[in-house]
Amino acid sequence: MSQEEDVDTYRSRLLESLSERSDRSNRDASDPIQVYVNERRVGELEGTGLGARLHVQCVDHIDMVYLRTEEGILLGGLTAPESGFRTDRVRLSSDTVELCVHNAGQGGSLSAVFIPAASVWSRAWKTLAGLADRLTVRGPEPALGYGMRAVVFAQALTAIAVVGLVADRMTIWTTSDRTSTPVLQTAALPMASIAGATRLEQQLDELARMQAKVEDVLGSQQKGMAQLHQAMAKLSSTQETLESNVLTVKEEKEEIEKRLETVSRETDHRPTRQIASRGRGEQEQLEAAIKNLTADNDRLSKEVVSLEEHNQALKTKLQATVMAASRSVDPGPERLLKMADSLQATQQQAPFLFWVTFSDGTSQESIDKWVHEIKGYKGALNEGWQEVRIVPPAVPPDRFLEQIKGDKIVKAARIGQ
Amino acid sequence: MGLTRMHHTLSKSHAMADRTTTVNRLEEVVSTSEEFDQIVLQALPILLDRATGYTKRFLRETGQWNDDIEHEKFALRWGSEYLERFRMCGRSEVPCRPLFLFDSLVAKQHSKPEPFCYHPDLLRPLGRFLDGLVARAVVSRDALIALYRHSYGWGPGEVIAVTGLNGLESQRIYKNFRRWRESGWQRTMKEMGLTNTELTELGNQQQRHRQRFNGEAERLIRVAQAHYRKSEPDHYPCLSRSQWADMFAQGYGCDYRIWHLALCLDCMQTAWGLGTGGSAAGEKPRLELQVRP
Repeated sequence: MSQEEDVDTYRSRLLESLSERSDRSNRDASDPIQVYVNERRVGELEGTGLGARLHVQCVDHIDMVYLRTEEGILLGGLTAPESGFRTDRVRLSSDTVELCVHNAGQGGSLSAVFIPAASVWSRAWKTLAGLADRLTVRGPEPALGYGMRAVVFAQALTAIAVVGLVADRMTIWTTSDRTSTPVLQTAALPMASIAGATRLEQQLDELARMQAKVEDVLGSQQKGMAQLHQAMAKLSSTQETLESNVLTVKEEKEEIEKRLETVSRETDHRPTRQIASRGRGEQEQLEAAIKNLTADNDRLSKEVVSLEEHNQALKTKLQATVMAASRSVDPGPERLLKMADSLQATQQQAPFLFWVTFSDGTSQESIDKWVHEIKGYKGALNEGWQEVRIVPPAVPPDRFLEQIKGDKIVKAARIGQ
Repeated sequence: MGLTRMHHTLSKSHAMADRTTTVNRLEEVVSTSEEFDQIVLQALPILLDRATGYTKRFLRETGQWNDDIEHEKFALRWGSEYLERFRMCGRSEVPCRPLFLFDSLVAKQHSKPEPFCYHPDLLRPLGRFLDGLVARAVVSRDALIALYRHSYGWGPGEVIAVTGLNGLESQRIYKNFRRWRESGWQRTMKEMGLTNTELTELGNQQQRHRQRFNGEAERLIRVAQAHYRKSEPDHYPCLSRSQWADMFAQGYGCDYRIWHLALCLDCMQTAWGLGTGGSAAGEKPRLELQVRP
């Protein structure tokens, strides 16, 4: 056999084996079912007991769940969701294993329940009872539920009647075999059997219809269950998100509390006396500065008053001089008055001189610009103080000084040197 | 001659068309489990080739590929394994697109650190035999119990004695042995692609060079056991003699004893004699490979 043929044969064998495994009914009913999570064996389910169950809690996230026979044949499985719930029913011939996986941030959990096949009678009874219950639950009005229960009960009675009828018919046939003469048998039996069979057929039809209805109801119930599971899964994921948000908020709160504690501790550790003494010192310095300022202000006010007085004296002298001149030259009084006014104007337009220092790092260019803006001229420079001459301002000198102190580049300004 | 060729070409084009149709169906949404089963069953050859192709690519990309029959069989074997898992678990994913689901499942397997037990020596008949046995033991209790038989030549009674099992468990061991002999061994050999000729040749080698054969088998089975023991539950690590003694004396950890001792040659030597209360504690067991069940 060539190598290619060998590989082909192997491939065919594997495919054959895979196809064979589609029949999952050949499980030995008495053997336990092996349960695997993420390809690790986690336990087994008793394959015979009623309601045998296995619950597994994993630290890791669950990816896959497999059910296998003791021979290793894969019976079924379930792919777990990233988070939340997933349930599935794995049918093993007539039995069922119900799997429920839940994945959360802390790991996963699996719950497996073995549900053995019920006997024919108990299945029929359960179906009828279950159907009646479901219909009662689903019905919005109790009256309707009772009505449907009555219908189901009637169906059960019909089924019993049909069985009774069949049994009765069989009894008649068997007894007629023994008692009736061959002639009677040939005449009566076909007629009786035709009528009975027709009735039986009708009843069977009715039963089949009712069965179809029951199946429909069961189908809708299953869909409802599936929707419920989906809703549960969504709910669980929402809950997880909410929990994580709450956790984040808590963590943030704790962090803030810690920070506050640290801050208050630091504040407590500072020597209070030191703060008090520093405050007192600063207050004293401030008071001294205010006193100095008040004294300077008083001095300046006095100077201004004396200057105004001097000015007034000069005006008086001038007027006296003008009067004397007028008397000697006798010019027109109007002309003399004009001369006096022009002299006063000349005196008033004498340059206003003040000294100014600029903020550290101010460029010469900025200083020149500022001087230009106030339409002034730079004079001498003495120990950092710049002499500036301007046309006398319209406002009093104190106010003018306050105004220029408000300029960005001006550090201090004064009138005297 | 010309007719035959035409017929061949026609059948080939038919096959191509069928394949395209099947792939198209696999790409469509499947709504019920029954529909899923039906479509996947029809597409088994396509899906097997697809999974095999992915496995080959993985082996090539990880520098583990060689163009020979052993590697081809290895890729086919794992392709089949993935396909089997897909068939069972994919049903729970409906509604889905089967082809995309299948691709994601294979990709998920290949994204694991060691998706399968690869060693060049495990691709030869003896290696394949041992790999098949140990790999099967992980998923089948029958194969697990049979490992005692294939490794040490023990029967059910000896297994029960060595592992210190009670009455109920003993019955199960007999059943495991019977089922393995009847079908399990044959199935495993078939799935590993071991032919009768190869198995006979293994038997002959053992007859001719028993010591060398068993030495080689021990080396290879250690490789396989180290890989597959990771499938044990987390709480089944190797134990000291005193810990094993405690477990045997107290009578707990029945599963632990059965699983771990079958998959660990060293622990078997460590725990030797504890199951029988030291009465049968003769020479410690050595690997004596048995090819037949």
